Amino acid sequence: MIAREKLNLFKQKFGPAINRADLTGENRVFVFVEPSALKSVCEHIFRDLDARYVIGIAVDDRPYSGTFLAAHDFAFDRDNILCSVLAHLPADDPRVDSISGVVPAANWAEREMHDLVGLEVVGHPYPKRLVVPDGWPQGVYPLRKDFAWNQAPEGFDEHQEFKFDEPPPGCTVVPFGPFHPTLDEPAHFRLYVEGEFVRGCEYRGFMVHRGIEKLAESVLGYNDIPVMAERICGICGCVHSVTYVQAVESAAGLRPPPRAEFLRTIMLELERLHSHLLWVGLAGHVLGFDTLFMQCFRIREPVMWIAEKITGNRKTYGLCVVGGVRRDLSSELEVELGQVLDRLETQWRTVLGAVLKDRNIRKRTAGVGVADASLVKETGLVGPLARAAGVAIDCRRDHPYAAYGQLDFDVITAGEGDVWSRLVVRAKEVLESIKIIRQCLAKLEDGPIGLKIEDELPVGRLGLSSVEAPRGEAHHFVITGENNRPRRWRVRAPTYQNLQGVPTMIKDQRLADMTISLASIDPCFSCTDRLETIELATGRARSWSHEELIRLARSRQG
Amino acid sequence: MIKNLCQKMFGRSLWVYHANSGGCNGCDIEVLNVLTPYYDVERFGIKLVGSPRHADVMLCQGPAMRSTAAALRRAYEAMPAPKLVFAIGSCACGGGIWHDSYPVLGPVEKVVPVNYYIPGCPPRPEAIIYGVAVALGLVDKRVVPVEVRQLPLIIPRYHPDDLRGRDELVVYEKADSL
Repeated sequence: MIAREKLNLFKQKFGPAINRADLTGENRVFVFVEPSALKSVCEHIFRDLDARYVIGIAVDDRPYSGTFLAAHDFAFDRDNILCSVLAHLPADDPRVDSISGVVPAANWAEREMHDLVGLEVVGHPYPKRLVVPDGWPQGVYPLRKDFAWNQAPEGFDEHQEFKFDEPPPGCTVVPFGPFHPTLDEPAHFRLYVEGEFVRGCEYRGFMVHRGIEKLAESVLGYNDIPVMAERICGICGCVHSVTYVQAVESAAGLRPPPRAEFLRTIMLELERLHSHLLWVGLAGHVLGFDTLFMQCFRIREPVMWIAEKITGNRKTYGLCVVGGVRRDLSSELEVELGQVLDRLETQWRTVLGAVLKDRNIRKRTAGVGVADASLVKETGLVGPLARAAGVAIDCRRDHPYAAYGQLDFDVITAGEGDVWSRLVVRAKEVLESIKIIRQCLAKLEDGPIGLKIEDELPVGRLGLSSVEAPRGEAHHFVITGENNRPRRWRVRAPTYQNLQGVPTMIKDQRLADMTISLASIDPCFSCTDRLETIELATGRARSWSHEELIRLARSRQG
Repeated sequence: MIKNLCQKMFGRSLWVYHANSGGCNGCDIEVLNVLTPYYDVERFGIKLVGSPRHADVMLCQGPAMRSTAAALRRAYEAMPAPKLVFAIGSCACGGGIWHDSYPVLGPVEKVVPVNYYIPGCPPRPEAIIYGVAVALGLVDKRVVPVEVRQLPLIIPRYHPDDLRGRDELVVYEKADSL
């Protein structure tokens, strides 16, 4: 058991600091350490053992253990292990050492720990408000158990405006959002511009924070949550519902029947198809190449129709429940799905040929918004962003789930790390997805599509799950609980990490390249905020307002 | 009055601005879909514009959030009159599953006045076109009663409070006739 070997490594180095260790499966390690050792353990895992940082979690565990919990999740991609390092913090003084200094990718996660649960993160390099709205009163922490989900906080000031940092000297501020044509979702960037070049930016997002985790912990039940999880994001919704049910299944030790796993795989890949086609279209739109936008949406539409025939809805499929899926795939639909894929492949190869040979797209995207392998490591970038920088991580291969372990597919990579590479990676992944669905259809065997679960799910178990969403790895952390619902459910969408790389990617780039650089991570704000997705849909590169253009022109003269 | 206004002022030229105040993007991409070859609303003179100052209609998606209420109100005020607001999707119409959650104010009508509601999660592109066509007076409104049976779920206890029996029918009554 490899997980046990990893645990032995930790024990050798930090023996006395480890209070408890849970091995809940061959690929899951939970290590409870002394709070004072949390930072050094995380540093060791991130630097010496070269793990990828996934997410930090804060839990109000006072009603059960009388303490707060702080946790950091890591992924060992080469060994197929997901690992969580946890520490109990005293209820009257929940202080935890910041690890952002040694693990830069933890920056947002630690700010969120403070905003939502009220842990005091000692020594954080940039302890600014991240998640809760601007007028939210100090000292009110919505994810604490004594805060009701429907409580309107006392002292909420709707006129309070966010305090932005001072721009660096010599720079002009260009506001971008919250309602911007290139963003379907609200998010605000303040760009610091010198002449035509972006020198930095400040991000104020989390405007789509809808309190999903709180609802799951206080209102819904285990099998209501997958339906809500789909509404975390309207584009990669199925990913979140699969990730959630897998996390619960891993905590409860359930294994869904094989047919259910194949059906999940098929829907996940159909979702990747429509998402990638959408993205290529929107990227064309942002670049001013509207023909590509229209062609991509024309090709994409049959995917939506077949999804509707299989599940009853074009999106938000309502497919997954704990222990299986809700709808079976009929043999007629299998045939029809095969035909849709055939047509899609032919049409996509034509479009792909045109796109990859198009010199305008290439000139507009090559060398733009570069994220190199070291940025991938430091900020924990995932998905096509990492693969375009030559870092071959893909949860489908590294942490096989559903039926991916039995399928044969390639992990597409490119070397430049720029927008062009990301376009190539996504475009080629469409063909891989088609290949995967065909294999699933060939291997699909008759059988039950769900487990019959008669007993209550066990209480207080920990579960982790990672699923490769179209935008990168989606990761969920679950602690099972009483009353048929989890005690804590933490969602980490891929854009959560990818957005943290944007300031570096757009630094010293031209202002006009900002939109495509941002679009190239395929940002999904709703996921990130547990309520946001990015919609590059209306994006127009030329859509700067009159005022902004005048300002821009003036700053160039200066 | 609004119906007459719509037909008179916006008949063949409706410029829309879409504002997602906190939704999941599902409705946004269906709105985009409406602009693309299969549905192509440009044939009705409907066009998406990038600024509320150019728009006749604001399409709202997602619930009204504490964090975006002010920005949404500003976008509405920036639109020149006469103006219409469409609430698209369950969240914008009624607040969605998170209608009473702590960062959510509720349906968008709590922030801006809404003229038309297009429910669905997300509404199909056909539903969006139909809603706009009803507003423009191109088609009549029709409502059909629907019977929905709750699918049995695998975990026996559907909800801790066991809100309703497992085989009970939920019937949505026919809306008042028009």
